[in-house]
Amino acid sequence: MFNNCFPFSAVLGQEKIKMALILNMINPYIGGVLISGEKGTAKTTLVRGVSNVIDYMNVVELPLNITDDRLIGSIDIKKAIVNGEKTFEEGILYKAHNQILYVDEVNLLSEHIVNILLEVLSTGTNIVEREGISYRHPSRFILIGSMNPEEGILRPQLLDKFGLYAEAKGEIDLNNRIEIIKRYIEYENNPSEFLLKWKEENEKIGSLIDKGRAIIKNIKIKDEDYYFAVDLCKNGNCSGNRAEIILIETAKAIAAFNQREYITENDIKIAATYVLPHRIRESITFEELEEPLDKDALEDNACNGDYESIDSHDLDRPKEDIETDTKEDDIKENIEDIVPYNNEISINMDFRKMTSNQGSGKRTKVKANSSKGRYVRCKIPRGKVKDIAFDATFRIAACNQKNRNKNGLAVCIKPQDIREKVREKHTGATILFAVDASGSMGAKRRMGAVKGAVLSLLRDAYQKRDSIGIVAFRKDKAEILLNITRSVDLAEKYLRKLPTGGKTPLAAGLYTSYQVLKADKIKNPDSLQYLVVISDGKANVSLETENPLEDAFNLGMKIRNEGIKTMVIDTEKNYIEYGFAKELAEKMDSEYIKINQISKSDIETSIKNLLNINQ
Amino acid sequence: MENHRLIYPFTAIVGQEDMKKALILNIINPKLNGVLIRGEKGTAKSTAVRALIDILPVREQVVDCIFSCDPRDYSSLCENCKKILEEDIKIKKEKMRVINLPVGATEDRVVGTLDIEYAIKSGEKKFEPGILAEANRNILYVDEVNLLDDHVVDVLLDAAAMGVNSIEREGISYTHPSKFVLIGTMNPEEGDLRPQLIDRFGLVVDVYGERCQDSRVEVIKRRLGFEDNPHKFIKEYENQQKNLAERIEQAKDLLDKVEYSEECLRLAAEIAIKIGVDGHRADITFIKTAVTHAAYRGEIKVNKEDLIAAAKLSLPHRMRRQPFEEGVIDFQQINELIERTIM
Repeated sequence: MFNNCFPFSAVLGQEKIKMALILNMINPYIGGVLISGEKGTAKTTLVRGVSNVIDYMNVVELPLNITDDRLIGSIDIKKAIVNGEKTFEEGILYKAHNQILYVDEVNLLSEHIVNILLEVLSTGTNIVEREGISYRHPSRFILIGSMNPEEGILRPQLLDKFGLYAEAKGEIDLNNRIEIIKRYIEYENNPSEFLLKWKEENEKIGSLIDKGRAIIKNIKIKDEDYYFAVDLCKNGNCSGNRAEIILIETAKAIAAFNQREYITENDIKIAATYVLPHRIRESITFEELEEPLDKDALEDNACNGDYESIDSHDLDRPKEDIETDTKEDDIKENIEDIVPYNNEISINMDFRKMTSNQGSGKRTKVKANSSKGRYVRCKIPRGKVKDIAFDATFRIAACNQKNRNKNGLAVCIKPQDIREKVREKHTGATILFAVDASGSMGAKRRMGAVKGAVLSLLRDAYQKRDSIGIVAFRKDKAEILLNITRSVDLAEKYLRKLPTGGKTPLAAGLYTSYQVLKADKIKNPDSLQYLVVISDGKANVSLETENPLEDAFNLGMKIRNEGIKTMVIDTEKNYIEYGFAKELAEKMDSEYIKINQISKSDIETSIKNLLNINQ
Repeated sequence: MENHRLIYPFTAIVGQEDMKKALILNIINPKLNGVLIRGEKGTAKSTAVRALIDILPVREQVVDCIFSCDPRDYSSLCENCKKILEEDIKIKKEKMRVINLPVGATEDRVVGTLDIEYAIKSGEKKFEPGILAEANRNILYVDEVNLLDDHVVDVLLDAAAMGVNSIEREGISYTHPSKFVLIGTMNPEEGDLRPQLIDRFGLVVDVYGERCQDSRVEVIKRRLGFEDNPHKFIKEYENQQKNLAERIEQAKDLLDKVEYSEECLRLAAEIAIKIGVDGHRADITFIKTAVTHAAYRGEIKVNKEDLIAAAKLSLPHRMRRQPFEEGVIDFQQINELIERTIM
């Protein structure tokens, strides 16, 4: 089907991906490649095109909506009915043996299918035990996956199975971009002519691969090569021993590509840029733990020249705060713009404690009981059959046709043949943000940072298809800024317009959040609920008792008792800290982070550091 | 379609010029990869898409082929048509169609499934084609595209990207061509569309209710006129409809002849770098849109006007937005760039 696809050699740039694919062709033991990158960067084009470069390998595609019978194979229905024999009809895994298995959007693949793939990948054999069939066949293939990380992450077990990792990036050079448009439009206007034009280039690459394959068996590996590879992996904190092995295999392929019968240190270094990026585990250094925002805050204070006044002002809280806040109340309202938050934060939820399991988000994938979701396999029904899996039923029936009265039809189906569909669906979460918009948040441009942090969380929520809502509290009340919705854009719009100023009715904020979440629970009983409180905790408006803080703490405990998971983002950045937000977090049993805490380090830089260490 | 329901004439829609233009350009050149129409309720989104039926061009297709295969393009034929000898292929002329994908559509209806009746009667597996089969070489229209189930969207994306639908499910292994013009409408208030899917739409237009009082009055007048006496109303627009249909046919013929200068390419790349887009679809679509626009004007040379129109339709949704910034392009800047580069 892809004979006519854009020629491999005509793709401009994306050298890393091309190389990763070529290395895999030369040495199938590398174990495939995962291509990650933004949309529209020729990821899929390159994979499809590779099968036209060499003629002894085909690209077998694994569509996202595959069902397990087609993946592992099942009974041959025609033979079962006509001859009454049980024969095996091969699935994709059979077709893929000694070929390339390509999964586009691999991060969206269903859980059940991933499990089967993992099994086959580790044993190299497909063992079929179903529908009265017992069959096994070797299934070794080069696994190539492509994904857009915007759409969500890949399961770690599967990630580790990919030998290499290559990133696709859009071209930034003007002339190259022009050339890309030219070539593409030329191709689109007349594919066959364009293919002919690039045939020679394609053949050149093909012969390089052939030469590499011929020589790879002769490559000698020295002891020091092993040591060097092990060193690299150790420095990267890679788990297991797969990294070292693949590193050597890749280095071998690189040497073979260059027509050498030995590998150099440089080969291993280049190999590392493909093998290690997705395997390096973060080792947090002290630099990363420093809090740049904190330093700014301190400098701010220093510029003012008197720590005293700021601190004493804060110490006299809540009485004085109320006064100053009321003064500012209606006069001083300002809308801060969003300050981009440099670090990615994401919400980690412990789902083992949760039992609910339906919805259409991406937090977890679960079996859906309704007839919505993706059909992945079948089961023997219990009780009334609602969602019949005809193909499976048909297969079972086909095996038992010998002694049945068929009434002129080809097949007679009995109740015991009937199978039901098992569907998989994503479960999302409901995340409510309770944002403190009081005057104290406006000080020292804190609100901008808060907005940035919330947006970072919103992006994470988008990837996981969560529903979100925002409650803001300031002056004397809390306000539902945005009721639970799936539109992240809308949330962003409201957040942008959120002004600061006034007192801090933390208790009211918690109470309103609690109500919103309760109402949502009735509508979506299966969604997981999460509350993110963003505040410095300096409550000064009470709800029930005289003590504003006490009120907030009580409500916090109530929320905890409802089983709503919480996260507190502490925005307090003064020289002397009260730690009220922290106290609230403890009371609510929340995850607690400071607004300026670092949670993720850059993979790219860490690999560069790694390579420098060893030079 | 053999559907003689009375349809509000396309040319009778007041205003919404960008939307109309985007739709027309896609009919002229299906390689533009569709259009996404975003807007509030009651802005004639669905009306415009449905009204397309009247002005769709006639094209050749293989007789009795469910995929409406193009007899002139061997490489795009389905398995069945490939088996027929070239001289045996029967060709008929038929209008391009609008295929609806309902929001509630299940995955098996979209991609196709096992033909149950055939299986029971004959004991053999046969593929029963779904909506993606019907959509080949036609327009696939998804109303409320943002409300579609995630897994259906994934399938749609896949087919839209490669023009092929591969099925490996329910005992069926089948591959067939599925090249379609994807037209989606959505109300952004009801939720977002994933960026990955938005990027697959060649063009995106945002529609708003008419703000000018006169136009609003005109909208009501025409709508009431149509409801009052649809036959008479349609008759009134008959000439305009015919003219537009003819203009589209002519533009289609002209498409291959349109030329553009090296500067246009340079401009496309420059803009793409300047506004920071993901990948290369923006540049390519920009040029293709400009070319199609020139053909629509009846010209064979791309000029400034074409480029400005193309920029407006093909770029805004492709800007990289960090982190969730407002996706606003400085059109002033782009227009200046166009003015400067193109003489």
